[in-house]
Amino acid sequence: MTAAGTLRRARTGLPGLLVMMALAAGLATLAVVAVRGHPPVGQAQQVQQIAAGLHCPVCKDLSVADSPAPLAQQMREEIAQKLGAGESAAQIRAGFVAAYGDTVLMSPPGHGVAGAAYYLPVIVLAAGLIAVFTLLRRWLRTPQPEPASAGSRPVTVSQRRALAKAVARLREEEHR
Amino acid sequence: MRRQIARRRTLLLAGVGAAVAVVVLSLAPGLGGNPSVIASPLVGRAAPDFTLPQLDGPAVTLSKLRGQVVVINFWASWCAECQVEQAALNQVWQHFQDSGVVVIGVNFEDTSGGARGYVRTAGVTYPVVEDTGSRTALAYGLRGVPETFVVNRSGHIGGHVIGPVDVARLTRQISSMLQASA
Repeated sequence: MTAAGTLRRARTGLPGLLVMMALAAGLATLAVVAVRGHPPVGQAQQVQQIAAGLHCPVCKDLSVADSPAPLAQQMREEIAQKLGAGESAAQIRAGFVAAYGDTVLMSPPGHGVAGAAYYLPVIVLAAGLIAVFTLLRRWLRTPQPEPASAGSRPVTVSQRRALAKAVARLREEEHR
Repeated sequence: MRRQIARRRTLLLAGVGAAVAVVVLSLAPGLGGNPSVIASPLVGRAAPDFTLPQLDGPAVTLSKLRGQVVVINFWASWCAECQVEQAALNQVWQHFQDSGVVVIGVNFEDTSGGARGYVRTAGVTYPVVEDTGSRTALAYGLRGVPETFVVNRSGHIGGHVIGPVDVARLTRQISSMLQASA
């Protein structure tokens, strides 16, 4: 193997290795998050969690959990009462959405136009990954032109003859 | 070969253009209208029922007023804009009280003393109830005061006004509800 060939191999192998390592790291992180999950929480923490996901309707850019407004205080009390009555977090959120609309949610809902906030990054990421893999594959497959070297290709008989004829012609011209 | 490259470029540009068009068209509706006014999702739906104590009188239950047009006005004595709309509410009440229309003032985040003082000085004669704990306000998705909901005879919310009401607009809404159910 020539030195150029070795260099080409090293050059094309490194990005592939890096991409694989990045993918492995991402998958490992996802697996850890999925396995660990969320620890069980008490009712006070549950109230905080639900309140943190709701906009205070009488404030600017404050969650119900962070707002000192009396209405936010009433919302926290209502959340606690509903949790005590056995309602789930999703049911409680749905109750506030029914009265205030989707704008009461701190995070956009996963449906309608606002759902784009969730699925658009996934689409862009997928398109990016496809583009990276396509380019990488093309790069790995494209044959690199080898530098011409003397002994690398055998000279055929006809070439030898043509060469001999050309040399003889040159010598004849020299003698004249 | 060149043709192939040109075709690929055209396809790529068309794809990017289509993606941009989809994003712009989906976000465009949100650019119109007043961003500070958020339409209530309750309009067209059944008005949340409530039973609330009057400042001076028996409790008022919304569902017992079915068959009448009900104007529910959330207000507070500390609210400056509530004073602005008070004359309009008084006028509407005087004009429609014998025509199957009820105006209810729902006092929001206030003291009983403050509310009573306001009712006396502002000449309020329609029923005023106290929403202690703001449960009714939360059920109606209240974002501040004043806010007014107009409930039709079948108990559905047909109108919603954020901020002070004016006589002409309120009269128009009430009249259309009375005519529709007549």
